[in-house]
This record gives sequence, C-alpha cells and structure tokens, in this order.
Amino acid sequence: MNAPTTSGGLSRRGFLGMTAAAATLPLLAACAPSSTSTAASTGGGSTEAIKFWDMQWGTTSYIAEAKALVAKYAPKAGLASPSYQSIAWTNFYQTFASAIASKTGPAVSSGSGYQAFQFAGQGAIAAADDVVSGLKKDGEFEDFLPGTFDFLNTKNGYVGVPWQLDMRVLTYRKPLLEKAGVGVPTDWDSLLTAGKALKKIGVVGFGTGAGTGSLLGGQTILGLMINNGGGWFDPDGKPDCVTERNIETLQFLQELSRNGIMDPAAISYTGANLNKDWLSGKIGMGFNNVPSVGTALGGTDILVASPLKGPHGDMGALYYVNNLMMYTNTPSQESSNAFLRWYLDNMKDYWQKGVISAIPVRKSIVQLPEFQKDANSVKAVEEWQPISKTFASMATKGSAAMNAIEGGTAFTTFSQQVVQGQSDPKTILETLQKCLQAAVIGT
Amino acid sequence: MTSRPSTSEADSVTTSVPGRDRSPVRARPASGGGATLITFVGPSILLLLLLNAYPLVYAVIQSLHHGTLLTTGPFVGLANFANAFSDPLFWGSLKFTLIFTIAGVFGSWVIGLALALLMRRKVPAVGVFKVLLLLPWVVPVVVSATSWNWLVATPSSPIPLLAHALGFGTVLFLANPALAAVTVCLFKVWISFPFMMLMASAALSSVDPTIYEAARMDGASAVQQFLYITSPLTARSTYISWVLMTIFCVNDFPTVYLLTGGGPLNATATLVVLAYRMVFQNFQTGYGVAIALLITIVLVAVAVALFRQIRKSVQ
Repeated sequence: MNAPTTSGGLSRRGFLGMTAAAATLPLLAACAPSSTSTAASTGGGSTEAIKFWDMQWGTTSYIAEAKALVAKYAPKAGLASPSYQSIAWTNFYQTFASAIASKTGPAVSSGSGYQAFQFAGQGAIAAADDVVSGLKKDGEFEDFLPGTFDFLNTKNGYVGVPWQLDMRVLTYRKPLLEKAGVGVPTDWDSLLTAGKALKKIGVVGFGTGAGTGSLLGGQTILGLMINNGGGWFDPDGKPDCVTERNIETLQFLQELSRNGIMDPAAISYTGANLNKDWLSGKIGMGFNNVPSVGTALGGTDILVASPLKGPHGDMGALYYVNNLMMYTNTPSQESSNAFLRWYLDNMKDYWQKGVISAIPVRKSIVQLPEFQKDANSVKAVEEWQPISKTFASMATKGSAAMNAIEGGTAFTTFSQQVVQGQSDPKTILETLQKCLQAAVIGT
Repeated sequence: MTSRPSTSEADSVTTSVPGRDRSPVRARPASGGGATLITFVGPSILLLLLLNAYPLVYAVIQSLHHGTLLTTGPFVGLANFANAFSDPLFWGSLKFTLIFTIAGVFGSWVIGLALALLMRRKVPAVGVFKVLLLLPWVVPVVVSATSWNWLVATPSSPIPLLAHALGFGTVLFLANPALAAVTVCLFKVWISFPFMMLMASAALSSVDPTIYEAARMDGASAVQQFLYITSPLTARSTYISWVLMTIFCVNDFPTVYLLTGGGPLNATATLVVLAYRMVFQNFQTGYGVAIALLITIVLVAVAVALFRQIRKSVQ
C-alpha cells in the first residue's frame, strides 16, 4: 500500500526527509569553517582585507573623512588593504568582546583608553613594538608629545600607539567671572573665593556631574588629587589612595560643597544635564574636555584657565591617552603594522579638515594652522599637557584594572559620595582602596 | 455517533469513556506515530535546546568560574554565589528590587484597574482617553526616561521649580537617594499602568452584566459589587497580570538604568542593574552571571507560587 501523499504530490516520507534535511543544513553550515577563520590562519602575505574598526570620534563628517582617509591607503605589494568599519560607543565593549571571542573582530582599531590593556590581558592584542621601533628609526618618535607612549608600554610591549589626547582642564565663563567681580583662579584658595563670588550671583562655581554614565565627576576629583600631588596608584602601580594629600583634596571638595559652590544635584547629573546648565549660563567654572568647550558647550566665552597650583605648590592634571591597537586575530601582522604606521603618518587630515574634537599627540599636527586657531586647545597643549598624568597617577604605565575601575561601580559610588559631601573623606578613600585592590586582583 | 479522538486520547483510551458519547477506540501502535512525532517535534526541540538550554548551561558554567567575556577562567565553585550573599551591594539591590517590584505591580494594578472600571462608564470621547492612557506604555522607554529626566533632574527642571514655588524648597528628585527611589518607582508605575488597564478591561468585559443588575436589585452597593462580583470573577486575570508584571519588574533594566543608572549611591540599583554592572563595567563576569542566575531562581519560585494561587482561584 502506498503512503498517503500531500496534495502537491510529495510523499509523506519524502516530506519528512526534507524536513530533517532542512533542519540539519544550518547545523552543518555552522560546523563548516568560515572563510575568515581559514584566511586568518594563513599568516603574513594574505591579501584578505584587514579590518579597521574605528570609534565614532565625531559626527558624520568624521566618519566620512575617516572612510576617505582609509581608502587612500595603498599597501605595498603582498600586503593587505584595510576595510573601514565605524563603531558606535553604545555598548562598544560588548561589540568588541563578542567579535574577538568569535574571531570576527578587527585587526586594527581605535577604542577606549584602556581597551588595549583589557584585551591584552586576554591574549587578544598584538604588541606594537615593531611600529614603535619604526617610528624611532625614522626619527618620528620625537614628534609625539612627551610621555604619551609611556602609558602604553607594558612588560609585554606596547599595547597600542597614541593618536589623540582627552584632557581635563579648568574652564571658566569669562562674563560670569567679570559679573561676579573676581579674577580667574590660579590656586585652590582663589578657586574657593571665585566660587563664593559666583554663588552670590546665583551661578554654580564648580560644575560637575556624577550621575548615569557621567565619569566627569570622578575624573575631576582624581584630577584635583593629582593636582595636589596625590592620586590612586603609587609609582609601582599599586593602589594607594588613602593618603594625606588625597584626604586634603576631598576636604577641599567638601568645602566647595558646603559653600554651595558645587551643585548638590550634580550627584545625579548626566553629561546632558551638565551641558544644559553650561549652555544656559548656570555654571561659571568647571573641569572639562578641552575641545568640547567650543562644541558641546557652545561657548565662545568659555575659556581654558592656566593650571591651578595646589596648596603645597604642586601642579598636575588628569588626561587620557587614546590609542590605536592591533589584534592577534589578523590575516597578516605585517599588513596590520604597515597600515597602523601609515595611519599615524596621515591622521593629520582630521584636524586639517576640522572633523574631530580632540587634542592630537603629534607636535607636527599641533603646529598646523587649523589647530592653532583654537586658542583653548593650544593652551591645553602648551600649559596642561606637560603637567598632566594619566589615571595611573604616580605610576606611568596603564593596566587592565584601570578599565574595570573607571567604568565600574566603585568609581561612580566614590564620586557620588564626594559630590554629596556628607561622608568622612578617609572612610570614602578606605572603601575606594578596597575596591582598587579587588579590581587589581580580579584582572 | 462516532467522533475522531485527538492524538493523546487515541494513545490512551482503549475503552469507552463513561459519560461521553464516544465509541470504543483502539490505541494506535506507539512506534509508527512516535517516529512521526519525533521527526516533527525534533527540530523544534533541537532549536529550543540550542536557543535556551545552551545559554543557560553556559551561564551556569560561567557562574562557577572567575572569567571574562572572552575566556571562562579558573573554576571557583560556588564562590561567586557566596560572594553575592556576603556583598552589601547585593542585599541593597535585592531590597530595592523588592520595593520596586511591589510598587510596580500593585501601583500599576490599582491605577490600571481604577481606570478600567472608569472606562466602563459612559465617558465622553472614551476612545481618545483610552489611546492617551496607552501612551506611557506605547512610547519607547528611552523617550519616557529622557522626558522624566528633563522633568526632574536639575533644580531648574519643571517639577523641582513647581515644588519650590509651592514652598517645598529645592527638591532634588534624583540626587536624594530616598527621593530617587520613589521617583524610579513612580516612573515604573507610570509606564506600566496601561498594561494593567488593558488586562483589567479584558477581564471586566468577560463578566456578565446581568450579574451586576441582579446584585443591584438585591441592594448591593458599588463596593459590595466590586468585592463580591468583580474581584472574584476577575481573580484569574488579576493573578496572571501580577505574575507578568512581577517578571517585567524584576527583569526591568532600562527603566532604572536610563533614569538613574542605579544611583545615587546605589540607592536605585536593582539586581538586574547590578548584574549588568558587574559583567560589563566591573568585568566580573562570573559574579554578574551568578547574580543573574539567582534572579532567575527567585523569579521561577515567585511564578510557581502565583500560578498555584491561580489554580486555587479557578478551583
């Protein structure tokens, strides 16, 4: 007896067989090696494109310019060409982590300040020592601002190469200081005096934000600690934040809070809340990222002050060395090296065309007329960069722990406690010390 | 009359079933039907295993290791779970999760039910009201959170200005830990009540209006009608809406994260937010996943308890 058939003439057995085959097909396809993984194992000399993932460092004009710049690269014979991919900042770490884990990540990328350290600890970063050696050999190493390579030099080599700086400098709105009848602060005492005067005219004298996603609060506090000869790490890179200088810094910040110079609402301020207050003239002074003064804050009357002198005569500030990194998952390490070197030599286009809001690391770019037009940025490079230190504070080298610390819960809680101004400074620092130690051990 | 039994009945029934007008049927041999069943159901089960069981098993493995997003890391046994129980942040988050869930479930239920009862009356332009009342639920939470942030975040925001004008001084809704917790709960109620209103409306529409007419003729007051007719007859739907809203609240990440990020000073951190922060900000993958698994266990327990309640109410 024949099996009943479907109306289309297909037998039930045949239909079942096709169903099973259809279900099996994706599984078999998933087991097949992909072209990427095959090519990745071929090593040097592959002509498969090397993926360059670039964070969105500016608006759409930046992305367009970045694509155009990468397209200009003409590799030498036998080396691979790059492919450009713009990456959004939203959940960027997950984007990178999942791609790296599945071997579909980039060969070269820009990224957050500590990203290279984080992935280097997991064996995913290719050291940039050859690129750095090439720069030294060609005499171009000296074109980089002093100290910018030190942060990236680990015991396993350079985890990346610097390409731009993110600086936290004191800014002020000139008309408001004039209205309050005070001069530009030069030290902590005059900062307090100016803050009190601004308070009298209903203006916040020390604008900051420690709410959701806003790291500025914690960065400002750490910046002032460095300004006072303190910081979170000792010269050996070990957590060391319960110090007299740090306690003194927190006491000073509490004084600002007690005097109403720091807005109590700042504990929950996002970046958007803070920008809104800057734009509406409610803030007279505060630490900011330099180029954002002219862009996000829209203030032609917002100026960069000279570095403050701490109560013991120290000078110092916080800055971030944004870097470009290479990954071990590349079709050709030689191609990655060649592209990275070319990129460093040609990235001046961004500043020449005004599509990026960042401080360049190369002196030759700083000297460009297009960059020299921005007096605030020039002041930041000339006066603030030489005295600035990284998150590593007293130490010079970065680490993966810093990524977990700055993006983590401890950093936010710490900055909110300080901005709130109600907890004992030493207790706050002791809690922070435990968190720093846990992060160092954990990573 | 002979009716064709369903597959399950055919497999189990071999004699006539008392009380049913059904001829005795013989169960088909299990072997032939079983093969067909496995062939049809197999791919679905396989997909379910791949999509659900694999991530769950991998999560359990991660929770027993001290790893990263890229590597599993060394085996640490139950240390991550033990850490959770000794972490004040975990207990603080658990406490706020309970507050947030209770406020979210019952706050939205009370408002939703009240509005559903109101909508049963003859209100002019009731359709327009229904659409307007659905807006908080329909609008993406990102937009709602931004709006609420604009309303309350800074001293110069509209609500703090209003509070100041009314003589309450400078009220910092998101900067004060207690007020921030209240604000987050209110936000949750605001975005959730339309769902409860829909559930209650559907349940109320299934109640026979003649029961109310009979009750009114017997002299029952409005309160008595609600307590002895509406409430018991909509109990099943109410319990289901509670189960669903409990799951929504416990698993709710965007509401809290977009408005306060869990702050200030972790006052509004729920367990889901804590798990996210541990995995993606502190890079403590094992610990974060362990917290997520604990949430799952608690949710399953709550759901089972509430479903038992539903079964009781039906009986």
